[in-house]
Amino acid sequence: MKLRKLFALLALLAMVLPLLAACAKPTEAPATQAPTEEVTQAPTEEPTEAPTEEVTPEPTEEDPCAPATDGPWAGVDPRGQTVVWWHNHSRNREEGLKAMVEEFNSTNPCGITVDPQNQGHYSDIRDKMNAGFSTGDLPGLVVGYQNDEAFYALVDGLVDLNTLIDDPKWGFTEEERADFYEKFLEQSVHPAFGGKRLGFPPNRSIEVLYYNKTWLNELGYENPPVTPEEFEEMACAGAAANGDGTGGYILRDDASAVAAWTFAFGGNVLTEDGTHYVYNGDATVQALTLLKKMYDEGCAYFFTEGYPNPELANRRAIFTQGSSSGIPYYKKDFEESGTGDEFDITAIPHTTAEPVENIYGGDVMIPKTSPEVELAAWLFIKWFTSPEQQAQWIRISNYFPTRKSTINFLGDYVEENPQWGHAYELLQYGTFEPQLISYAQVRDMVSAAYNEIMQGADIKATLDKLTEDANALQDELMSEVP
Amino acid sequence: MALSESAISAQRSLLRGQRIRKIRESLTAYLFLLPAITIIGVFGLFPLAFAFYVSLHHWRIVRGKYAGLANYVKAIDNLAYFAFFWVTILLIYLAVKKIIAMSKEAREVGGKLSIWALPGLITAVGLAWFVKFFFTFLPGVLEIGMKLRGVAERTPEVFRKFLKEAWLEPAVQASFRQSLLILAIGLITAYLVHRFVDDTNRGIGYYSAFISVFILLIAGLMLGWLTWTEIQAAYAKAMEEGKELAIWSQLVTISAGFLLLYLSWIVWQRAQKTESNFGFAIRFGAAAALILGGWILIAELPPIIISGDKDWWRGLQVTAYYSFFTVPFQLGLSMFLASLLFQNIKGKSFFRLIYFLPYITNPVAAAGIFRVLFSGKPNSPVNNIITALGGQPLKWLDDPTGLFQLLFPHANIPDWIAGPSLALVVIILYNIWTYVGYDTVIFLAGLGGIPKELYEAASIDGADRFAQFRHITVPLLSPTIYFLTLIAVIGTFKAFTHVWVLRSAAALGTTDTASVVIFLEFSRNTRYGYASSLAIILLGVVLILTLINNYVASKKVFYG
Amino acid sequence: MANETMTETLRKAKAKRFDIAHFLIYVILIFGAIIAAVPFLWMVSASLMTLSEATGRAILPKVPQWANYIDAWKEANFSEYFVNSVIIAAITIAGQMVFSTLAAYAFAQMKFPGRDFLFTLILSTLMLPEAVTWVPNFITVTWLGRIGPIPWVNNWPALTVPFMASAFNIFLLRQFFMQIPRDLWDSAQIDGAGHLRYLVQIVLPISKAALMTVILFTFIGSWNSLAWPMLVTNSPEWRPISVGLSSFFDEAGAQVHLQMAGAVITIAPILLLYFTAQKQFTEGIATSGLKG
Repeated sequence: MKLRKLFALLALLAMVLPLLAACAKPTEAPATQAPTEEVTQAPTEEPTEAPTEEVTPEPTEEDPCAPATDGPWAGVDPRGQTVVWWHNHSRNREEGLKAMVEEFNSTNPCGITVDPQNQGHYSDIRDKMNAGFSTGDLPGLVVGYQNDEAFYALVDGLVDLNTLIDDPKWGFTEEERADFYEKFLEQSVHPAFGGKRLGFPPNRSIEVLYYNKTWLNELGYENPPVTPEEFEEMACAGAAANGDGTGGYILRDDASAVAAWTFAFGGNVLTEDGTHYVYNGDATVQALTLLKKMYDEGCAYFFTEGYPNPELANRRAIFTQGSSSGIPYYKKDFEESGTGDEFDITAIPHTTAEPVENIYGGDVMIPKTSPEVELAAWLFIKWFTSPEQQAQWIRISNYFPTRKSTINFLGDYVEENPQWGHAYELLQYGTFEPQLISYAQVRDMVSAAYNEIMQGADIKATLDKLTEDANALQDELMSEVP
Repeated sequence: MALSESAISAQRSLLRGQRIRKIRESLTAYLFLLPAITIIGVFGLFPLAFAFYVSLHHWRIVRGKYAGLANYVKAIDNLAYFAFFWVTILLIYLAVKKIIAMSKEAREVGGKLSIWALPGLITAVGLAWFVKFFFTFLPGVLEIGMKLRGVAERTPEVFRKFLKEAWLEPAVQASFRQSLLILAIGLITAYLVHRFVDDTNRGIGYYSAFISVFILLIAGLMLGWLTWTEIQAAYAKAMEEGKELAIWSQLVTISAGFLLLYLSWIVWQRAQKTESNFGFAIRFGAAAALILGGWILIAELPPIIISGDKDWWRGLQVTAYYSFFTVPFQLGLSMFLASLLFQNIKGKSFFRLIYFLPYITNPVAAAGIFRVLFSGKPNSPVNNIITALGGQPLKWLDDPTGLFQLLFPHANIPDWIAGPSLALVVIILYNIWTYVGYDTVIFLAGLGGIPKELYEAASIDGADRFAQFRHITVPLLSPTIYFLTLIAVIGTFKAFTHVWVLRSAAALGTTDTASVVIFLEFSRNTRYGYASSLAIILLGVVLILTLINNYVASKKVFYG
Repeated sequence: MANETMTETLRKAKAKRFDIAHFLIYVILIFGAIIAAVPFLWMVSASLMTLSEATGRAILPKVPQWANYIDAWKEANFSEYFVNSVIIAAITIAGQMVFSTLAAYAFAQMKFPGRDFLFTLILSTLMLPEAVTWVPNFITVTWLGRIGPIPWVNNWPALTVPFMASAFNIFLLRQFFMQIPRDLWDSAQIDGAGHLRYLVQIVLPISKAALMTVILFTFIGSWNSLAWPMLVTNSPEWRPISVGLSSFFDEAGAQVHLQMAGAVITIAPILLLYFTAQKQFTEGIATSGLKG
């Protein structure tokens, strides 16, 4: 009896639920409209307060948003467009971003509405974009890495931002343009796709060396290492102090780390023309030879589970290497370790006169939708990367700016975050990793080669083979371009 | 007289009643199946057909040039031609087999078989034409995404307008009308035959059988034609480049090798029934065939494997190890646990809950624990146990060395038969640990379906527990065992999440199963065409394993 | 007398042997239980740690951080996602119960032309790696929404309809339905029952263990699915709880402690369901009453 009831209940559920859900839809529909309502409400409230002086006088002069009369974007009217932005920022970053976008929506003179939507991680966004090319469901603005740009270029899916940057009406002035770090802008230009500029850098992170400052001082070293020799010496001192295999430098088998070491030894992993890889140059060989030597001597070790931050905080390592976006995590770990130690950040030990730093991060790109939306999206990028806004975004995200003048708005922030400040000083020495279409897979191949070398394979031979395989893959992937 | 007449008519009406009931049962069955088939057809079979279509192109996010079998050849080299050739043969064989079985049956009962061939053929051609229409229409639909560029307004009306445009393409319209026309002719001829020539219920069975026969034949011929043209093209290209190609000779020798293996197996089976010198002679012959076949394959296959995609071959090898070392232990353990948990013991609901925990523990947490336990550090928990027992600490998840090489360090075992790497062994342990709970739940449900009185009767007859287990539990549980075996094999072939989470660069790719390789090609490289061809190959491998499993199961599985 | 003592000692001996067997069973079960439970317990423990305790792989938190649960609940937007997940799971289960049950019954108990062919065809869908199905299914779902009356993407149909019938469940249920003795159907037929009535009144009640298994696994599958919901939703409106859980990762690392707190929250309903479900298949089913 009970069973029959159970099934009847389930059958009922089966009938009722879809109905319920279908009925729920009309009530849901206003919910979807709600955000736009809020948005339209917001401007009516806010302009009465602060930005009135900015917005109202302009229409009386010439409308800054009226279509240009010449240039590639002549006749395109960005006014009143809605730009959906697919991004990967979650939690407090998302909150901060929303607030910034709301300010843009209420203050921009062109009546552009940006709708920021979190769509998961970079890989989720790539999947959505790839599916969207077949159905036409594309956002006005999207984040992604440089090799994602190459993927989307396969279907000619992105706007060439050179046309916008150089546009007399919509583009940058020469000062603005010069305010950007040249290397960061250069990274989004794709020689493999006719030199098109497919993305724009809103923020960056740096590959840096973290060190336990207190411990290093105790060991008798006043300053962090500058040259590889100093680095080796200090790591060995740390290892000797612990005497149990820990204490030295924690090896990092990521491709970004390999690139960083290559740069620091005066080399590059990209060929001159920017279309192929060189992993067997002298710089890479020397760098890996040093690391392997340190590994063999017990001055460096692998740490493959969990994150290296607590190791540094608890004096199980004196050096770790990683992205500058880890600073907050290190901070927390040092606070919680209870040792009273402090950490700091320095450049990857280098043989070059000046340091050369590996700088990376996602871009924003404009998918080809309609010219009006594309132009509106560009105007938002321009606003978002303006020094004032970028400074605000840096405060929210702890990333690094892509414009030099942004730092003028960040004085107090640097005071509060000295490590961030030290990393910031490295920003001017930045260069970048390959933006080639095969780089996602090549990254894995580099990791594997790094491990093979540490497990005893011949360094030169392994790197030769890596270079050959990576270039073969790059050619193969490019040969399938439709 | 009257009596017998009425008896005959009674019998007739009974027969008719049976016939009607049969038709009605079929109709009810189709009605029951309709919703499930629709959903699975749209969201399961369509992706399958789509994947096959994609695999024949250089497909990078969107459709590129037609590639024929190039993707397959890239993956498994000339073995691709071999596989397609034999699938062709298989399809034609199935069709012929069905025709022979039908004509045999028709001869015995005097059915009119041949008259149904024509309507069957026309209908099958109509259906094939419909598939053709579908794949003429599909590219148009896929291009709408591109056509929408520059369109500011994106209302449902705009989408429908574009869809209508794609639909109204002359080629699409033509193939659609043609397929409808041919289908209609097929149905009409079938109706005419039914009305005027053969109005028996059996006739409808013949009609549907002929449809499937001709569909098999058409599919076989299409595949055969594709394979043939591809081989021709490959030869032409080789001629141009002045290279030598050996596809045909490879095809012949490899086929011969496999046939010899099959033959030896058959002969061996036969010989088991005859016990005498003659039987011995047969076995000797079988062994000779086995050796010969094996030798041919060993001589022919390695060069092909070497020229295929290295990552893919390794992926298949890793998958094979993974599956082979996982499934037996996982099933054995869970069956053992389920039968323990089915006993009348205290706290069994508590234990059942505990054993289910691994399956629902967050993979990141569980993988994290496994990383700690099996960390390569000399003082990791597992290494501590090993050193306490007097052994050497191991690298575990970071160790690409094969298991057999580790066990017999001095035996010089070559890499390709080195067994699963130590890293893979940890993942296998993880898999067993996770899925034992899952299998146990299904086993428990299966045990719950066994009538209690069988055990009561058996214990009255004096059967002890083991005998009960062997003679009641195992046979009555066999459908569940069969099901779980199949699901576990498919599961190991498709395993992804935990393999991905436990993947370590230091293991140098020795834990990348076939499904990981497919994912990487698909998502990391956006090579949809190539990834789809890999998926189709994997599907073929799983399908063959399933057929073998079914063959074994058909003898062993017992349904109440 | 002598006879009686004999049976007495025999019984005692039997009881003793039984005790040893029982003892062994317990030893094995407890040993296995420890292996099974440790990662789970660590997950619970880590959910109460600080970040550095969790990333440092501590065993127990120094001070339990109960606030982690509040943080996780708030930061991952669980209050909104939780309801979505329940609705999605309920609709999916309801669909499965009707569609998969009907199909499984047809495959197990009915005869019709093309049965084996259709079954093999359905099974073959199990063998395609999921990554390959995403793009075609996304295209299908988009167009179904564009030509149909309601949108599918970013709405419940895309999240539920594709999972309302699955080869796995059809296969599982078929195996159980095939075990049902034929004479049950014969006697039901004599009583004048059709297939549907037989299915609802007799087959389903005696298959409740299998049905509960289907409900349980459908629920877990729906509850944990991440990639597909991410692909077909654009806003939090219809996103499931697993999406909230995945937001604890970012480029620099994972908020392991919050992640574990979130995981415990997401697992709780599964445990609850399992607890209720497993009562349903604790005992073997007595079919004798039904056979009469």
